Amino acid sequence: MTTIASILPRDFPTPASTADRANVATSRDSTLDRFLKAIERRALRMAELATGSREEALDLVQDAMFGFVRHYAEKPAPEWTPLFYRVLDNRLNDWHRRRRVRLRWIDALFSRDRDAESDALAQVPDPADPGPLLRLAGTQAARALDSALTALPLRQRQAFLLRVWEGFDVAATAASMRCSEGSVKTHLSRALATLRRKLEAHE
Amino acid sequence: MNELDRQPWIDDARALLDESAQAVDAASLSRLNRARQAALAQRRPRRQATWWLPAAGLACSGALLLAIVVWAPLRSTHPVDAAPGTGAAAVQSAEADPIPGDEAFEFYQDLEFYAWLDAQEQESDG
Repeated sequence: MTTIASILPRDFPTPASTADRANVATSRDSTLDRFLKAIERRALRMAELATGSREEALDLVQDAMFGFVRHYAEKPAPEWTPLFYRVLDNRLNDWHRRRRVRLRWIDALFSRDRDAESDALAQVPDPADPGPLLRLAGTQAARALDSALTALPLRQRQAFLLRVWEGFDVAATAASMRCSEGSVKTHLSRALATLRRKLEAHE
Repeated sequence: MNELDRQPWIDDARALLDESAQAVDAASLSRLNRARQAALAQRRPRRQATWWLPAAGLACSGALLLAIVVWAPLRSTHPVDAAPGTGAAAVQSAEADPIPGDEAFEFYQDLEFYAWLDAQEQESDG
């Protein structure tokens, strides 16, 4: 699979003349096109896991593309990936805020059992254990993972997807989520514990 | 050791997520493609937004000129409507010799009085 980093130039040359500027603009456009094409599927899945709806996810990814091109297209290409996810993260936060206002009364139904999450011993993984996904077969595992990810709180899910799926380090994840590195670690730790528990429940 | 490295099931999760991204349906991909093109179109200069400006300017100038050409003769022939039955010569004389006001009429009526007054002053001076 083509990685996003492999399609990005380190940076664009400084244009000297009008013709050079036109060439650089065209080159940047085509690189932007390739960048967005490489990232759009993952972005769609992230938005879909956050909203639970393909239609909503498509709208949010479209918004994120517009916002990214408008505000960050002129930034150096190696910075694009965390910046794109920052824009998408903003859109997802806005979407959740609006939804929370609309469906405030449902919040009580989603309250979590926080005692289990705060139990540090319960979160320590067993290295000898192959893990819950391996014990599930094919589509069943995919469905279980989708369901568990969808049920995660937004920040925990984003921390998990950016760190685990996108392969960001803690600093890049924190930059994309606009929070401290400590918060990223906390969100990720909780996400891993919750996912493991939920996936085991599917067995 | 990294927290992620300690949990082998995470590799499976990553693989499942990759598979799900590759399995996005054609209709969604088409919409993503349109969204991408629309987003990139923001960066292109909007040529179609400016091509009509000179044409619109020319049309406005033409309309203004036409309005002046049509309106000016109508304004100049307006007195004809006000005094039907008079000819073009009468109209021209009316424009050249406009109707005098009330003060001018009084002056013409009292002209004999002013002539007499002038004569009286000359006699008294002589």
